[in-house]
Amino acid sequence: MSRFAKSPWIIHYDASSCNGCDIEVLACLTPGFDVERLGVVNTGNPKHADLFLVTGAVNEQCRDVICNIYHQMAEPKVVIAVGICAASGGIFRECYNISGGVDSVIPVDVYVPGCAARPEAIIDGVVQALGVLEKKQKEMAALASNLDRTQYLHADKKDAPEILGLQKTAYQRESAAYGDDCLPALKQTLPEIEAEFDHPAAPAAAEPPVAPPPAPGRTVFLKAVVSGKIIGSVRGYAVGDTTYLSRLIVHPYFQGRGIGRRLLEELEKDFPEVRRFEACAGQKSERSLAQLQKLGFQEFKTGPGPVPITWVYLQKERQ
Amino acid sequence: MNPLVQVLIYLVAAPLVGGLLAGWDRRISARMQARQGPPILQPFHDVLKLLQKENIVVHRSQNFYILFFLVLVIFTGGLFFAGADLLLVIFALTLAAIFFVLGAYKASSPYSFIGAERELIQMMAYEPMVLLTAIGMYMVSKSFSVSEIASHPTLLVVTLPGVFLGFLYTLEIKFRKSPFDLSCSHHAHQELVRGITTEFSGRTLAMIEIAHWYENVFLLGWIYLFFGSMPWLGVTVALLVFVFLILVDNVFARLKWEAMLKSAWVVTLVLGFGNILALALFSPSPAAPVAKAAPATLHAPAVVTPVPPPAAEPARRT
Repeated sequence: MSRFAKSPWIIHYDASSCNGCDIEVLACLTPGFDVERLGVVNTGNPKHADLFLVTGAVNEQCRDVICNIYHQMAEPKVVIAVGICAASGGIFRECYNISGGVDSVIPVDVYVPGCAARPEAIIDGVVQALGVLEKKQKEMAALASNLDRTQYLHADKKDAPEILGLQKTAYQRESAAYGDDCLPALKQTLPEIEAEFDHPAAPAAAEPPVAPPPAPGRTVFLKAVVSGKIIGSVRGYAVGDTTYLSRLIVHPYFQGRGIGRRLLEELEKDFPEVRRFEACAGQKSERSLAQLQKLGFQEFKTGPGPVPITWVYLQKERQ
Repeated sequence: MNPLVQVLIYLVAAPLVGGLLAGWDRRISARMQARQGPPILQPFHDVLKLLQKENIVVHRSQNFYILFFLVLVIFTGGLFFAGADLLLVIFALTLAAIFFVLGAYKASSPYSFIGAERELIQMMAYEPMVLLTAIGMYMVSKSFSVSEIASHPTLLVVTLPGVFLGFLYTLEIKFRKSPFDLSCSHHAHQELVRGITTEFSGRTLAMIEIAHWYENVFLLGWIYLFFGSMPWLGVTVALLVFVFLILVDNVFARLKWEAMLKSAWVVTLVLGFGNILALALFSPSPAAPVAKAAPATLHAPAVVTPVPPPAAEPARRT
């Protein structure tokens, strides 16, 4: 057994449950079941926890909270849906205010059915989750050690959901600086990101990177892939003599390892005719601004964005 | 023994002993609550797991402060086990605690902010007693040097019973045990009392745990100092004190910070200061001015062990 299997720390969230499953979750901690003998600690802090136990059918008010907790948890992490409501929505499935199960909001790894789920079943679910946790940890370690074999490819529409998930993860840090999720990158929906592939002037983005004749207003959508998992992405959009960069993102776990720089180099190769590159970032995104300046960009103007944000525009001439 | 060897032994053994003590603590607490409890090695599993987790930070510098917290706690223990000056040890310990507080302030979230303020209040509660303990030890042994206090021929606890009890009282705070587990409790993970570690995760949280192990071993070493002339008694009492702290932890409910601050200061004043006052007043050689230099021989009325004659004193002075 790995270290993860011996020390699972849990955060428990009640997403509009009737409290039946919650009481059973807490019963696991009592002397009768004592999950601490397996090393389980009920941390109540997403930054410390490995397992996310959710009970209840998830009403509209809980959606954001669940997403928030999930994104605040450190990798690797596993989600367990406890009780039939969390698993599928249960008897509340058709209610007007219910999204119907935790997996309608975040990816779920283990389902524990029951109304209410018995403590034995919950403990069994936790033990199964440990297997998943271990597998995820191995995948993370494998990704981290294979970074030199990262492939830089053109993305297509099938990648859109994965890139959108990555985008929301990568922009978490930025959103803290501005308060609410006012950042357009965090508000983007799947149809919107798919529409970016269908830019009228863009050639099919899935084409091999054999440069087609330069056409004005074309879009290039790049992804960085390690062992089949997308860990970075960037979009470029050329108009006339300028390429506009957007959404240069790298998974937080792999930041600072030169993936962003390589993505930019690949993007430059895709626009051989373009002399000038332009990017923008919010004025409070010090990290992104510093990163862009390190990549050779220079600030040249600022302009207003959605309310608390002021965009800082940066440009770079090809050497 | 060569002080350098002692420090090396401390550096290697303290995390092992501290981790085992923490595991023992969790097991004994569970048994006191009629539970089975985790394996003794659980704290090591936890820390090794934390080292493999992603490290999420609000500001990168918060990890820097925690690194200094760990380094300074190790430095404190190193000074102590090398037999250096007790006052320097105390100041290094305070500095370490301040770095922990700064790290939590730097994270600038409401929970870690409140946690940091609680930690500061705890420091206000225990610092006077820790300082008085050092002064009491100086008044008996005529030296602030840990190695000389440890080799003092009498049992310090006999002349310093009040200081010992007062130090025990503040140890409840230092070990983060109920009724004074206000800022970094080991039990109420989902409550405000865990506030100071809210924003730390992964490797940084592991560093905090390891620092606590080092700190606990150092504090038990200080308990040993009260029994320096009888090493086996010292080690036994240090372990008994640890079990006693666990018992108190499980018996008492948590108090409010006001109650902690007031009671800690009352204990410091009555037991600590009273003991030292008695030592100063009932000195057998009143000719020597108390305030200027310590009198040649000092003993409380309750002294039973023979105190060396005054003539021997200047030779031991440093």
